[in-house]
Amino acid sequence: MRDKYDAIIVGSGASGGAVAYQLCKAGYRVALLEKGRLIRREEFSKDELAYCRRDIVTPNLFDEYHTIEEKIDGAWVETPTFESGWSFWNGNIVGGSSNLMSGMLHRMHPDDFRLKTVYGEIEGANIEDWAISYEELEPYYTLAEELVGISGKAQPHPYKAPRSTKDFPQAPTQESAITKLFDRSCKALGVTPLITPRAVLSQDRGERLACYYSNFCGSYGCSSGAKGSSREAFIAPALATGNLTLLTNSHVTKLHSTQKEVTEVEVVNTLTLASQKLSAKIFVLALQAHESSRLLLNSANKFHPQGLSNSSGEVGKNLIFSAGGAGGGTFYRKSMKKKDFEALMQRGLFVNRSLLDWYIQKNWLGGKKKGGLVEFMFEHQNNISRAISTRYSNSRLLWGKELAQAMHSSFTQSKKIRFEIFNDWLPTDDCFLSLDTKRKDKYGMSVGKLRIHGHPHDMSVAKRIAKECEKVLQEMGAEDIYSSLSSTPPQNLIAGGCRFGDDPKRAVLNKNCQSFDIANLFVADASFMPTGGSTPYTWTIYANALRVGDIIIKSKKLS
Amino acid sequence: MTTRRTFLSASAVGGLSLVSAKEESRQRELPQELYNILQKVQNHLFPKGTLLPSASLFGATDFLQETLYHSSYDRDIRNFVLRGAKELRDTHKGELLNYNEEQMEKALRNFEETKMGSNWLSRVMILSIEALLSDPIYGGNFQELGWKALETTGGSPRPTSRYVAL
Repeated sequence: MRDKYDAIIVGSGASGGAVAYQLCKAGYRVALLEKGRLIRREEFSKDELAYCRRDIVTPNLFDEYHTIEEKIDGAWVETPTFESGWSFWNGNIVGGSSNLMSGMLHRMHPDDFRLKTVYGEIEGANIEDWAISYEELEPYYTLAEELVGISGKAQPHPYKAPRSTKDFPQAPTQESAITKLFDRSCKALGVTPLITPRAVLSQDRGERLACYYSNFCGSYGCSSGAKGSSREAFIAPALATGNLTLLTNSHVTKLHSTQKEVTEVEVVNTLTLASQKLSAKIFVLALQAHESSRLLLNSANKFHPQGLSNSSGEVGKNLIFSAGGAGGGTFYRKSMKKKDFEALMQRGLFVNRSLLDWYIQKNWLGGKKKGGLVEFMFEHQNNISRAISTRYSNSRLLWGKELAQAMHSSFTQSKKIRFEIFNDWLPTDDCFLSLDTKRKDKYGMSVGKLRIHGHPHDMSVAKRIAKECEKVLQEMGAEDIYSSLSSTPPQNLIAGGCRFGDDPKRAVLNKNCQSFDIANLFVADASFMPTGGSTPYTWTIYANALRVGDIIIKSKKLS
Repeated sequence: MTTRRTFLSASAVGGLSLVSAKEESRQRELPQELYNILQKVQNHLFPKGTLLPSASLFGATDFLQETLYHSSYDRDIRNFVLRGAKELRDTHKGELLNYNEEQMEKALRNFEETKMGSNWLSRVMILSIEALLSDPIYGGNFQELGWKALETTGGSPRPTSRYVAL
């Protein structure tokens, strides 16, 4: 019997959308399964209460949760996230969390693909080179840049990844007046300020309209289509081919398989709880790293008792996040010229600056070491969270006139600038996903248990970079400068768990992100990454998923 | 780490009550006496005559009531807010509603000295700030007075339904 679909893709975020785009453009019939609902461009708003303070686009943690294992006083302690409130869901809507990103995108450096070879091993870390080189991924970085619509400016820097095209498809987005001060201060310190590539259109392009500088970008869906989410950049054009069936509220709870192939997915409608089975020639997992591993482990059967694609026992292992931290400083009206302060207070424009000077540390701890990237931005303009941050003084809750004064002063007399450091989260034996067989979610699936541990090296890199960032802020004249570094992972920057490689005994996927065990199964999200580089993952996820789409087409598996 | 449940448990008078979703969904309004206590507290936290609108003006207590009973709100936190209001009622033997400003200040600062009291006041403060600065579609921030007082505004476009029309 002919399958209704050539391919079933589970998850519609950055990677799922990109694979769907490739396959649909090539004429194949694709079902894209998304657990959440569709929120259309025109339905998005800047509703802080809904998007930032309630679980509107993520599951209720009492229904679906993770168990987090952290080492406390020398012992591993489990805490379900419905107790901690620390959600590991990231945007369960069509397009996934790419709808909600700030869109600061960077390519990984060629060294990031050969971390072990270039920088050597680090005790306690499971560093491996990638199965492909930067040169193999470069054409797809370029393709993603074009399709997503990344705005920016090609600028020379010794630690920038080389480009095959002269410049970005669009000029950078508009910038705040603070960039002049930032650039001047960096140059005084001998640091090179760089314009941040951003997945936000600065000019109209087709159906997508340019950024309208709403002042509320990260954590919110975009109402003009400027932000290059998977929904805007890939799913919308894939739908236009007529080859894509988008199935929303469709949660995949199990993959059924024989020894050699996946045959069906078990799909539960999240609204009606009715279940059905869907079949196709190939299956692509794109759920986000920890959830793809969880689905594979939950799909264990008589042919694959350890879980699908897990003959190596490596599914879920070597989970990585983005290490680093944040810091910032404050500019006060009283310390500045009136016109300079008022220019700072102009709403909506981007800081758009990043620093790569410490991406590679040429002479640190006796040799060349890998460092990280820094992004600068204003404090998020969310009114409620900014106001809440003013409620204490010396551990005492303020109220009445005191609170009103503190809140008013914070909003009208100061402007905060932040930096975020991104450096490698080294993979270790103590950072992985397994199944919590004691706990089931509302669909009867074993909950994912994430053991989380940051290698001490990660923090030492972040600390070194943070000191340099503080100097920049000092030079700018900011006050109340601070750094806040910790080994607590950002749950929206997660990768690994299904490493790709050349050895089926030590990797889950081959270099094509295809299962070693099951030929019609691919994993297209960030699961494949053995190391994560020192950048946000999104551009790399887009690029690799476009590569995987191409590989599937060329493999003739859909013919 | 201090978990949400640890935080609530440490603060609890009678332990956590894990009521089922079915049980809780039936009730949509605060008991009147607890509503009055929360209103009295919020009016004290956001009184008239400051740089901010008063709680009574920006609609703090009605917002709090609707928020607590919305399906998107954490049911443990809702129960905690109710328990704290009862604790205040019982500690002051039902007299809290008759307190003048000075007595109220003393009562709340004393409550803040306890672990439960400080956590509870912080939570009521957060709910009040949400009422002050969320989009007026949620019933607070009357005539955008909260935004105006802080010389700010919400993002554009504004929501046309509550909670993305769940």
